[in-house]
Amino acid sequence: MTAGNGATPPLGGPVAALELRGVHAAYAGIEVLSGVDLVVPVGAVVALLGANGAGKSTTVKVAAGLLRPTAGSVMVAGHDVTGAAAHDLARIGVCTIPEGRGIFPNLSVRENLWMAVPERGRLPAVEEAAFTRFPRLAERRTQLAGTLSGGEQQMLALCRALVVDPAVLLLDELSMGLAPIVVQQLYEIVAQVAREGISILVVEQFAQAVLGIADRAAIMVNGTVTQAGTPAEMQSALSDAYLGG
Amino acid sequence: MNDRIERLADEAAKLGVTKGAARDGRWQALGLAAMVVGAGVALLAYPLSLGKSDPRDIQSLIILAVAMLAVAVLGAAVFLRYSLGRFLRFWLLRQLYDGQDHIDQVVAALREPPPSSTPSPPAPPAADLTERQISR
Repeated sequence: MTAGNGATPPLGGPVAALELRGVHAAYAGIEVLSGVDLVVPVGAVVALLGANGAGKSTTVKVAAGLLRPTAGSVMVAGHDVTGAAAHDLARIGVCTIPEGRGIFPNLSVRENLWMAVPERGRLPAVEEAAFTRFPRLAERRTQLAGTLSGGEQQMLALCRALVVDPAVLLLDELSMGLAPIVVQQLYEIVAQVAREGISILVVEQFAQAVLGIADRAAIMVNGTVTQAGTPAEMQSALSDAYLGG
Repeated sequence: MNDRIERLADEAAKLGVTKGAARDGRWQALGLAAMVVGAGVALLAYPLSLGKSDPRDIQSLIILAVAMLAVAVLGAAVFLRYSLGRFLRFWLLRQLYDGQDHIDQVVAALREPPPSSTPSPPAPPAADLTERQISR
């Protein structure tokens, strides 16, 4: 177990898919992240855990380019992309599924997929691939996305992120507001996606849901990563992080 | 490294040169500068041409004024493009959140169980009804 970033050698080689080095970030002058170090190795699932208000979602925002860090750097595949715009990061393959899903509620399931695919010619192939992976969405392809159940909306958000063939996927609170069985199904899909070589950072308040599929885990407390290691090592550290023991 | 990461590394290397958000800000500033300088020089050159007696000087100054007006128009277009782009992104986000909120309300209302059947209020006595109808 390491304190700080847990910068063990990346699984897929010397270059990490995503790396945060000494990142500080603030909202209106109030510092929320104070020196976050985090490594997402190539092809690995990294779980970022912590209590409410620890700074997990802010870390995702910085990694996704939605919030500019006040200090430190964000590296993608070994290149410094600190301060790059969110849409540019999304275009190169760093996709985010934000808290609250971020789908277009007043468009149908198919139309939500179309929004992610700029070339009209690719649509039939994209739809086929998406609906093969998510058969439940195929049954609801013409239904308004806002009227789907919470789990189906989260599936649609995942599906839309995957149709652009991302290299890095940032998932913020996938389990929020969902029944445990639905969360389990979603994390099975995430594990399957990771096996295809996509590097994944999962931010999650409910640790047990994600530790089963994670290759590495890190715990955040008060805006900094205090411990990192394998999921088994993190199990014992969790109660301290959540209860302040 | 897998194919995805190689592709990501290539794209990230190109991104490192331009840095999207900073690039937008630079274009916006450039547009504003072109707009101000173009308009300023045009306003200066035209009155100057009025004080000249040599037609060649007059023509040169008027050509300069027209060219600077063109620069000002171009600068305004660039400035609007990049400032409106930022505004429209925020507008789209706001629309999304409003839409989500509205649909959540509609879905919540649809999922609520129908109210239990309540007995209809008793019909008013015939005399009252007659009085009310008469008063109308």
